[in-house]
Amino acid sequence: MPLASPATSLSSQLLADLSKVVGEENLLHHRDELVVYECDGYVIEKNVPDVVVFPTERDQVVEIVKLCNKYDVPFVPRGAGTSLAGGTLAVGGGVMICMTRMKRILEINLRDRYAVVEPGVVNVWLTRALAGTGFHYAPDPSSQGACTIGGNLATNSGGPHTLKYGVTVNHVMGVEMVLPDGSVLEVGGLAEDGPGYDLTGLVVGNEGTFGIATKIIVNLTRDPEAGRTFLGVFETVDAATETVSGLIAAGIVPAALEMLDNLMIQAIEQAFGFGFPTDAGAVLIIEIDGLEAGLDREAHAIHEIVRQNGGTVKKSIPWRTRKEPEYVAIWKSRKSAFGAIGRLSPTFCTQDGVVPRTKLPHILRTITRIGEHYGLRIANVFHAGDGNIHPILLFDERDPEQVERVLLASHEILDECIACGGSVTGEHGIGVEKMSFMPKLFTPDDLAAMVAIRTVFNPEGRCSPEKMLPGGGGCLERKSPGHKASA
Amino acid sequence: MDWPESSDAPPLGDGRRAVAVDRPDSVEVLREIVRRRAAEGLAIYPQGGKTALDYGGIPRRPGVALDTTALNSVIDYPAADMTITVGSGITLAKLQEVLATEGQFLPLDAPHPDSATLGGIYATNTCGPRRFGWGRPRDMIIGVSFVTADGKGVKGGGRVVKNVAGYDFPKLLTGSMGALGIITQMTLKVRPKPEASALVIAGYSRLGDLAADLARMNTSDTRPMMMDVLSPEAGYLLEAEANRGSHGLRERMWTLVLGYEDNAASVAWQVQRASAELSAGKIETHTTGEDSLTRAILLAISSFPADRIESIDGSSDHPSQSPLSFVASVRRGSVSAFLESLQLDRWLAVAHAGSGIIHAHANPLDLPEETWTGEIQRLRDAADRLGGSLILSRCPIEWKARLKVWGDRRGDWAIMEKIKGALDPAGVMNPGRFVGTI
Repeated sequence: MPLASPATSLSSQLLADLSKVVGEENLLHHRDELVVYECDGYVIEKNVPDVVVFPTERDQVVEIVKLCNKYDVPFVPRGAGTSLAGGTLAVGGGVMICMTRMKRILEINLRDRYAVVEPGVVNVWLTRALAGTGFHYAPDPSSQGACTIGGNLATNSGGPHTLKYGVTVNHVMGVEMVLPDGSVLEVGGLAEDGPGYDLTGLVVGNEGTFGIATKIIVNLTRDPEAGRTFLGVFETVDAATETVSGLIAAGIVPAALEMLDNLMIQAIEQAFGFGFPTDAGAVLIIEIDGLEAGLDREAHAIHEIVRQNGGTVKKSIPWRTRKEPEYVAIWKSRKSAFGAIGRLSPTFCTQDGVVPRTKLPHILRTITRIGEHYGLRIANVFHAGDGNIHPILLFDERDPEQVERVLLASHEILDECIACGGSVTGEHGIGVEKMSFMPKLFTPDDLAAMVAIRTVFNPEGRCSPEKMLPGGGGCLERKSPGHKASA
Repeated sequence: MDWPESSDAPPLGDGRRAVAVDRPDSVEVLREIVRRRAAEGLAIYPQGGKTALDYGGIPRRPGVALDTTALNSVIDYPAADMTITVGSGITLAKLQEVLATEGQFLPLDAPHPDSATLGGIYATNTCGPRRFGWGRPRDMIIGVSFVTADGKGVKGGGRVVKNVAGYDFPKLLTGSMGALGIITQMTLKVRPKPEASALVIAGYSRLGDLAADLARMNTSDTRPMMMDVLSPEAGYLLEAEANRGSHGLRERMWTLVLGYEDNAASVAWQVQRASAELSAGKIETHTTGEDSLTRAILLAISSFPADRIESIDGSSDHPSQSPLSFVASVRRGSVSAFLESLQLDRWLAVAHAGSGIIHAHANPLDLPEETWTGEIQRLRDAADRLGGSLILSRCPIEWKARLKVWGDRRGDWAIMEKIKGALDPAGVMNPGRFVGTI
């Protein structure tokens, strides 16, 4: 995609007006300051915005948006910039509205089971604020230590525990947002089932194409009374994926069900030394939660299914809270997997495909075959219980020939996900990265309906242009993958 | 074209009658019908099991009934993936029967499951007591196909449980009252059927004591899948409906019904624990399996009130004597506060208390219309103060406009009207039924 030329095009009058709205201290416009904002977790495409503003109040967002309209420049909202699909790329430059300084937890109401937060609140801050109350906010992306709830809302983020508890859309009750014309819209609220369309459900996952969230009401979930977390060890990836299918088919709905293959195990052991067996073909982290009284039965069934598939349960961690040291250690290892991968390769590319869970053995075999065909090392760490794969393709970005092979392999994997009846993104979003896949998933009529809905909110396309939905001229295939982290 | 007058003409609801009924047996045929009927200048009123024809505003202009019940096939049921894709005309009971063959179920309650279709349940966002523990219809739908007013087939979502590609049309269509298009197909997440279920039923002579227990159960050691409250008269009638022996519902007390579903060991422990946590003097527990009292009570609560209303007022089904029913939604902790403002000699109430939802029913003949107008406004204000809203789920037709079925205009209705305009600019789909000018 052709990207606009770098920062120079904004009128000095707009800069002065923006500065009046947010103050000098909440505005960046020097080239060297802007470089940080040239991309997010998707580093293939870069473009610096012309200016970055950091509003601290909703009314400032309103004013900023009105100025963008007045001066006819595009704008794009950004949270922590952990998006893996280029959702916050400032395509065409313009004004980046960075929400990280609207970071207050405005209210926690346990009796009514909700919290009200500003969009810049980091996911884990809310988890910490709720610790010990008996309630939690369920969506827990692996990047939860950095990513914001506003960003989670935009991409409908998942995480390991969404298998049982659902993704972001299942836990957002209401949103206050500034629309691309500068008006303020409130959808949903403190009570369930308001009259009218479920706009809250529609707004979650809009990837910034409907406007900018300024306040979010989230649902709070009761903590489980107890849980057990198991480490299942297998000789082969096949045995592990068959176990996943076996567990689901047996009617067990784990709280989390994560798989790591040998390459990933080695990277994590080098980094954290948790005690994963480095000679294993694959491990499964299997977590169940609920009432202590009911857990023994499920635990027994899990042991049996692991054994039937030739595996062994190497660790069994019983817990009452999610703060117990061994529990914390195993999840820290899992959620930091992408940091560890740097030990194996200078550059890597993570994909985010989804297949029906019963197709996991097939897709993992296919990934191995594709890796062999293209001579690439591919590590796997992913949300097995959801069928949400994250193959990590290792390469050296200095070698254009390798880059080309990684790109071809990635597309082949995602095409196979579609062929299996799945999707090209389970939680990272379409962003700019995967727009070319949208016509493979949806018909022209489907996409026309989506464009019509976007036009309702964003008639001039000034907010987050060139995102999510292919534009009129079609979409170019992306030329190269890059280093990325993952949920 | 005018409204048909003949009483032989098929019903659209609210006393209106359809020009004709179209019953397509494939999506292709349905699309063709939509194109043809729209070209004829007719409105299209989707119908499933016809269990909620009087729900919403009055049909605005003459048109055809579009019957979806022939689109009732199971399209794909990969049980090991815990998903199912069905035609929208399948009934809830049939779906549950199919799922039961694999030991699975859809944790969703609706009245008249033998005739209510999934498409209708989703279009009206209908659910019952289990919503507290298992979620609402929106939480179970992962894919949807629908036909818009121009006869085009549109889909959103997919068949996998996690998928963020494209806008969430499955959520947009859930509760859309048929006003964006006709739902033809949906993919749902299903669950393994729990091994055991149980109810813990507690009676209270004072609402205040029940309120204290509701607050206590908000942080219970147990994890109930339902937490319902029945007003004294509602409990009495429901007991008659369930029609089994004596239990706590009989004595015209406020009743709290806690429900548990899990494996047997967990349910047994929770029943014991909940009984210990509650302050009520009279507590009865029922741990049962299939076809049990548990099931009868769940169905009775979900189906409340239509049949029962007739049994208390003896009225016929003449339209002007249809019951007066509302659904109030308030903050989850405020159900008892709302119930305090209800006059019990006028209203029967069943509340999904953990979710902040109150269903209440009255006989409109009990009082003059002006009194009801004031009463509804007062209760609307109460719901509003408690963070929510109130809609009239049923009321005499001639009162609908004045009493405002969907309540006063809200800040987000303008954008809803624009969404309607984007997908159905000519207002072909179910005109008059939904909020604002939709």
